[in-house]
Amino acid sequence: MVSVTLTVNGEKRSASVAPETTLLKLLRENFNLTGAKLGCDVGDCGACTVIVDGKLVNSCLMLAGQVDGRDVLTIEGLATTDRLHPIQKAFEEKGSLQCGFCGPGVIMSAKWLLDQNPNPSVPDIRDALAGNLCRCTGYSKMIEAIQAIAQDGAKA
Amino acid sequence: MKRRGRGMACMWYPIGFTVAANPSAAVVKVNEDGTATLLTGTVETGQGSLTILAQIVAQELGVATEDVHVVSADTDTTPMDTGAIASRTTYVTGNAARLAAEKAKLMLFDVAAPMLGVKANQLDAKDHHIVVQGYPQRKVHIGDVANRARVVSGEPPIGSGYFNPATVALDPETGQGKPFATYVYATQIAEVDVDDETGEVEVVRIVASHDCGTAINPMLVEGQVEGGISMGVGFALQEEILFDAKGRQINPNLTNYIMPTSLDMPDVHVDIVDNYDPTGPFGAKGVGEPTCVSTAAAICNAIHDAVGVRVTSLPATAEKVHNLIKAKQAQEQRQIAAAG
Amino acid sequence: MDTKTAVVEKKGTLLDAEALLRAPAPAPLVPFPIDVRVPDPSRQTPAVGQRTTRPDGRLHGLGQTKYIDDFYVPGMLFCKIKRAGVACARIISVDTKEAEAMPGVVAVITGKDIPVNTFGPSLKDQPVLADERVFHAGDGVAAVAAVTEQIAADAIEKIKVEFEELPPVLDPLESLKLETPGVHAPSANIYGHKVIKKGDIERGFAESYRIFEGSFRTQMVEHVPLEPHSSLAQWDANGRVTIHSTLGRITLGRADIARTLGIPMSRIRIVATVVGGNFGGKNEITTEPVVALLAKKTGRPVKCTFTRPEEFYSSTTRHPIIMDYKTGVTKDGKILARKIRLVLDGGAYCSWSETTLGKACILCAGPYEIENLYAEAFVVYTNKTMTGAMRGFGAPQVCFGYESHMDDIAKALGIDPLEIRLRNALKEGSFSPTSQTLHSVVVRESLLQAAQRFGWNGAKA
Repeated sequence: MVSVTLTVNGEKRSASVAPETTLLKLLRENFNLTGAKLGCDVGDCGACTVIVDGKLVNSCLMLAGQVDGRDVLTIEGLATTDRLHPIQKAFEEKGSLQCGFCGPGVIMSAKWLLDQNPNPSVPDIRDALAGNLCRCTGYSKMIEAIQAIAQDGAKA
Repeated sequence: MKRRGRGMACMWYPIGFTVAANPSAAVVKVNEDGTATLLTGTVETGQGSLTILAQIVAQELGVATEDVHVVSADTDTTPMDTGAIASRTTYVTGNAARLAAEKAKLMLFDVAAPMLGVKANQLDAKDHHIVVQGYPQRKVHIGDVANRARVVSGEPPIGSGYFNPATVALDPETGQGKPFATYVYATQIAEVDVDDETGEVEVVRIVASHDCGTAINPMLVEGQVEGGISMGVGFALQEEILFDAKGRQINPNLTNYIMPTSLDMPDVHVDIVDNYDPTGPFGAKGVGEPTCVSTAAAICNAIHDAVGVRVTSLPATAEKVHNLIKAKQAQEQRQIAAAG
Repeated sequence: MDTKTAVVEKKGTLLDAEALLRAPAPAPLVPFPIDVRVPDPSRQTPAVGQRTTRPDGRLHGLGQTKYIDDFYVPGMLFCKIKRAGVACARIISVDTKEAEAMPGVVAVITGKDIPVNTFGPSLKDQPVLADERVFHAGDGVAAVAAVTEQIAADAIEKIKVEFEELPPVLDPLESLKLETPGVHAPSANIYGHKVIKKGDIERGFAESYRIFEGSFRTQMVEHVPLEPHSSLAQWDANGRVTIHSTLGRITLGRADIARTLGIPMSRIRIVATVVGGNFGGKNEITTEPVVALLAKKTGRPVKCTFTRPEEFYSSTTRHPIIMDYKTGVTKDGKILARKIRLVLDGGAYCSWSETTLGKACILCAGPYEIENLYAEAFVVYTNKTMTGAMRGFGAPQVCFGYESHMDDIAKALGIDPLEIRLRNALKEGSFSPTSQTLHSVVVRESLLQAAQRFGWNGAKA
């Protein structure tokens, strides 16, 4: 077994897991943070996307042991008790999500993008979402929502 | 060198099952404050059908969409539904939901009539009120009526409805008959850039004009069209399940089964055709599947316009288009040589 | 990723493997936000026509939507299914002893354990788990329930199946020939046939200014819903089973499960409240009877989620269609007669092929007024992944055929593609290919609206 202690959405958490456990499984099964999804388990679809130490990561490709001592941000860490995150609000207003399965991954990619670049162009946005597969929406309303946030100048 | 081309494709598509009965049932319960609950056996698969059904029930009861809560997809608690298939939910389940809401509404009218001093058939439900037709000053809040139904009349306003499209069986020899109650129509026009050296096709722009009867929620219709186009782009240019000689799939994974990412999608512009179908709920028909029907044809017609080659098998991969261009050039050389 | 059995093999007991999952799921880290929107009352009604936001959309964006794979039920076991890996074979034997002996494996079932081992929306030719014959490489042959998903995945590797491999039929045109051995012998390979006959095509062709022919074909594609198929079964002490499932058709699903398990419908509850994409691929039972049987056998809840590869080779796909078009037109491009032949690759099992065949046959003439029409469509068995319902039921394929064909005709006659379509388009009150009078028809309107928006100004110079 491997012991890991990490910060998840601002809180210190620890777990003892089998060494081959992925970060994705750690989040979903040990911490009940089921926002990150298992779409392929091999890093192709992006449904498991989270942010580790400020970097965008496919959590199915990281081992739990690799996040020991690190800072992980998941979809559950964006909203507060009384406020949706601006990205979540924009996605809701524009109807950007349909079945929602790819949603958490896409929103984390969008957050990462807006953190790096508060005023992205459409090609920038398409680039940032390129690792997130979506079958329902054609990405159009996601791009619209992210553009709207950029135009509002809201801080991500 | 990149060559630009444009191509169009139009299509028609039916709503519901082919001839066979495909009913949907629904139950609408009006709460004592005038809000309501819809019970439906349909399955929300991401297309937003539950929101659409709430809008239909709200329209019938004259309340806001937010006032209608939808309970779905539980064989213990929701009435039967043939399912989220064949683009039938808005039309068939929508009609069932509207009929159920209408029955509950008529029960409310029976309670409201004496409150307003008129006959039940003089009433309308709109803007959260039961109002007298032609004399809207005389009205009562729907919550007051619903509450009175419970505490005074003892008639809980619960409406149950079902709908099945009207069809005529097809003759087994000639296929003649009326297989579907209604159809939708659409056109998509694609603009592409084809690299005449590599055969690579980039879809620049797609304009889509889709009929769905009344658009219950235009935002959700657009979402369906945009999503359908993404499936159409994949069908046209990228996706293919490959088999080896022994019949085993070679690429059963998302690394080697190529489907559209945000980088592959063109600019999409969606227009909804102004239309109304009297057989549908408030004139609505459906839109789920039609959205991906004409995309591949539009793209291939645009490729034809751009580089003069006809793709006859999908997907139109770069390799395929490149080979077609080379073959065309070779043929042109032969014709020039023969003429000369 | 290398094999994940290291920990369990070292410890070697069922109890230690269970300890990995014994901890109850802790509460989520972030409390649910309350941000109740109160829409402007003056814009709430009338409800129809509004760009209303979706209540479920909010939950999706928060990551709060629970899909079936997100459910954790105490004592839950995980099921994985062993896939045949061969396209056409007789099953000689299935040896599950080594798998059953693995620490952490609680139960194993094979096709022999299924009370009624056939199902299908029309022809009931598909097994829940293949018992005597395998018809495509994705056929399931056994299923394991284990305390972790990894143990289940490892256990199916230990199941040994002895096959007598037979030559597979892979080409639908080969399958169409009467002398080709039946994939589902003694049944013929052609398992569906539809004809639409209207007017007199020979006379129509005779009167035509020119006759055009074109052949087109489309490929096998998959729905790729982001959420894989998933189901979770739990029994209560009264013999009722509750199955949470990704099924898009719970009424039919319940009937299928009642039939395959041999129990009354009143003892089955199917719940399908949240699904991550369907597109037609989740419209028949897959894992549901398997998890129900394993749950019954073990006395514990059992969940099964498809892997992404299983989504490709063990769930339905879109019918590849081979299309031959022959159209006779006037000098102005008005269609006088059209003859079409469609051959649908019907995969290993019927699934939704009958519906697809019917729709493809009805739609393949295109949205055009055609007085003289003959459309004939066949669907044939092959030893490939079963083809079923996929967004369009044959429409995307035939539209590729008839619209490519239309542009070829337009080009040859020197007519603008928009113009030729306007000349032929169905109108209000037109007769369809099945002689139904059509209402609410807006083909021309959609053509003109799209052309105007696009900026399509007549033929290119």
